[in-house]
Amino acid sequence: MQRIIIIFLCLLFLLIYTIPASSSSHTIFEKVQEHRLINGATVLLVERHNSPTVAAYISFRVGGVNETSQERGVAHLLEHMLFKGTKTLGTKDYAAEKPLLEKIKTVGQQIDVLRNRHDADPEEIQQLQDQLKGLQKEHRKLVVKNEFSKIYGENGGVGYNAFTGKDSTTYLINLPANKLELWAAIESDRLENAVFREFYTERDVVHEERRRSYESSPDGLMYETLLATAYKVHPYRNPVIGWNSDIDNLDPDQIRIFFEKYYTPVNMVITLVGDFDSEATLQMVEHYFGKLAPGVPVPPVVDKEPEQKGERRVTINFDAEQQLMIAYHKPAMPHKDDYVFDILLQILSEGRSSRLYKTLVVEKQLVTDVGVFTAPGSRYDNLMILSMTPRYGCSCTDIEDAVYVELDRLKSELLTSAELDVARKQIMTSILRGLEGNGGLARMLSSYQTLGDWHYLVDYEKQLNLVTAEDVMSATKRYLRADNRTVVTLIRGEN
Amino acid sequence: MRYFLYLLLIILLFGCSQTRLGQQERPDNLIFPALVFHFPEVTQQRLASGVKLYLKEDHELPLVNLTLLVEGGSIYDPLDKTGLSQFFAQSLSTGGTESLSPQQLETELEGMAAILTVSSSKYGYEIDLSLNRQDLKRGIEIFGELLRRPRFEAERVELVRAQLLENIHRRNDDPGSIAGRLLGEAIYPGHPFGAVPTAAMVNSFSRNDLLELHHRYFQPGHFWLAVSGDIQQSELVALLDQQFENWQTTESSPRELPPLPAAPAGKIILADKQIPQTTVLMGHPGISKDNPDVFALQVANYILGGGGFNSRMMREVRSDRGLAYSVYSYFQVGRRLPGLFIVSSETKCESTGEVVTLLKQLIRQIRDEPVSTAELDLAKASLINSFVFAFADSHSVVNRKVRLDYYDYPKDYLETYRQRIASVTIADVQRVAQQYLHPDNIQIVLVGDGQLYRDEIEKMDLPVETVDLQLTQ
Repeated sequence: MQRIIIIFLCLLFLLIYTIPASSSSHTIFEKVQEHRLINGATVLLVERHNSPTVAAYISFRVGGVNETSQERGVAHLLEHMLFKGTKTLGTKDYAAEKPLLEKIKTVGQQIDVLRNRHDADPEEIQQLQDQLKGLQKEHRKLVVKNEFSKIYGENGGVGYNAFTGKDSTTYLINLPANKLELWAAIESDRLENAVFREFYTERDVVHEERRRSYESSPDGLMYETLLATAYKVHPYRNPVIGWNSDIDNLDPDQIRIFFEKYYTPVNMVITLVGDFDSEATLQMVEHYFGKLAPGVPVPPVVDKEPEQKGERRVTINFDAEQQLMIAYHKPAMPHKDDYVFDILLQILSEGRSSRLYKTLVVEKQLVTDVGVFTAPGSRYDNLMILSMTPRYGCSCTDIEDAVYVELDRLKSELLTSAELDVARKQIMTSILRGLEGNGGLARMLSSYQTLGDWHYLVDYEKQLNLVTAEDVMSATKRYLRADNRTVVTLIRGEN
Repeated sequence: MRYFLYLLLIILLFGCSQTRLGQQERPDNLIFPALVFHFPEVTQQRLASGVKLYLKEDHELPLVNLTLLVEGGSIYDPLDKTGLSQFFAQSLSTGGTESLSPQQLETELEGMAAILTVSSSKYGYEIDLSLNRQDLKRGIEIFGELLRRPRFEAERVELVRAQLLENIHRRNDDPGSIAGRLLGEAIYPGHPFGAVPTAAMVNSFSRNDLLELHHRYFQPGHFWLAVSGDIQQSELVALLDQQFENWQTTESSPRELPPLPAAPAGKIILADKQIPQTTVLMGHPGISKDNPDVFALQVANYILGGGGFNSRMMREVRSDRGLAYSVYSYFQVGRRLPGLFIVSSETKCESTGEVVTLLKQLIRQIRDEPVSTAELDLAKASLINSFVFAFADSHSVVNRKVRLDYYDYPKDYLETYRQRIASVTIADVQRVAQQYLHPDNIQIVLVGDGQLYRDEIEKMDLPVETVDLQLTQ
């Protein structure tokens, strides 16, 4: 099923499975061709002739983290709006449609203003809502529904999707190799001539997405609460989808401004992997995307999370069995300690021979599962998060104690060189597995280029090999402290 | 300096793009070269031990992937031992081998960065092993020993049992899995496909059960092995022959599948959970792969709810009304016995009645009215033109080939697939919709805050049954 999504899981996936590169992957990375268009767009091409298909990714260096408090949820709703067509696609008659879209916006904005006023007349709101419904109905007559999807569909495209993360936004599709020009034509048209149709209906869809992914899901609810607790200042604290009141007040004009500034060549990475001729493909990409105006670089986020000065604990009441998450602040790539954490993640929870699995699941039998990952992004300092599913009758306090004993052991006993070697081999092999398939390679190149430079992948193994047992011990002492910790428990509440 | 250059560019480019605007080409008017596509070759061989081996060499990356398919699965779970196949799969994967304790096995495989998983599905067990090329010899030795001489160490088996009990304890955490369970129970009463394990059943599984399942199914003559990656055929065959040497296969008794119960009368099943959104799951019995209408149904379902944003359900429920984020319909084409027809969505509790009514209307509509030529053409073109993605990576190529043979698909299934889709007509779509879609005889499961929609639901023309989730824990 196709879904226009975001959601943290996508990002987790990227972060867990697509960490960095290996010596055996170098032959593939040697095939990467990097180009810069005159308007600033980066183009990465990898010819791969295994099957007559192409994976096409377009990423922008902008995501939820770049939103101000007035803009929370903008990047994500924009992603939805960018599936609504252009001046030529998705419409029977754009000229007739345009004034109607303006009217819809005016009425919608009036409703939003009134809803925020305590003294608003409910009858007036109702009247406006009826008026909006009428206009929407009239507008629908001029709409050609989901035409991008239709054209990609009839041409054999699969996996047409997009996701908005904290650090970046990606639009992707896989096409039969002979249809690559279709992608270039549609995607460049969408960047140049996007029309935001059906805005207020789509805002409701986003509310449903929020209910589904966070409010009705114990995992989503815990994750959202964890971030909002561990971060006080940095925008990593906010859900990409926005809080409910954010979504209620998102406005089409605001989204348009965000779009025109940042979804532009200077912030854009195009990645194509598959069965094509690089030279001809580059020319085609230049022809379609070279005409776009460069745009404005996304400004760096200046908010800095102050050092945490003491443990934070939160309890969530929800209709589900208990769950536990523990998080520690840590630096992001390319900080040297980020490589140390890559090793640490393997040692702690990767596989049944990992330390936490052995202790918590097999020996003490306190939990049925334990996972450790980094989140919520990679551009700014992030978190190492431990997630545990307690066994029935086991107390979260006992589980926490057992976890802290294992973490403390890392502070007093050096890892053996055999342990380090295994962790490195596992990381390198997981990268290699990520390269199977055009989509995997495209996603990896695209995400690292968007974060900085895909050559990070080439250099990665060397950096990983420089990590010593002493580095691991020193990092655990520095970061895995009670003062730097956030603990979230979910329990069946009395409500 | 650089900034100035950008400014200049902006002006120039805006200029260029404006002249283009008036003559904006529609992307679907582009003309494309023909696609060159050949069915990838898969080498097939029956080994001396009886193993059916399928290989696709691929030397791009130094990795080797193996997937073994073995007869078995949940269809053979006795009703008083529901979940046994899952218990077996997890015990096999974690219980060690004759020469390696569970911990030795895990340490050795993880030291090679290998990934081993064992899973159970309706009609089989699947063992997956992913290896670095350099560890091939030792990896296949361990693989062979696990298949042939599993240890089922008591401590680990007890751990698996405890995990299954925990799953039972947590079965009401997630609304989607509650809905799936209740639908299965409603459609398949008294059949393994609808049965749900109880704590008493899980506690009754014995070591003897494990040994018996192993003895019955794990014999090289019943192995279907798909291998892809950086390996030569001769090398692979030598390694496998060594592992399976002198391992006799006894004649298997003919397969006996418990027949499915008759389709139940339509009803609505309500399960209350304190969440702001209702999971809507509807379903009734569908078809198996042997049904010649499977192609027409695929086209019909694409139009109804299978074609993502090109489907009517997505258009009506999500795009026009903003009532849901996810909505789709699906025919599970049963590999041996018929599978289910399913409709799934989630909507805020307040609009539950509206969504249920709308979904039923859409099913009725595709039965009552012919689809348009445009809808038919889009569905067919999409299914035909995306066919090439079935062959996009080596392991899925070889795995698919194994599955087609294991489930006795016609030999020319893949070669004729596109032609069969192309020949579906508007009349076919309506005929199969009428024959296989039953909006009045459907099970409708609703998991959410029932207070907000119960009254509305009770006005519908179907009996309503309420399930107390606390009693199912």
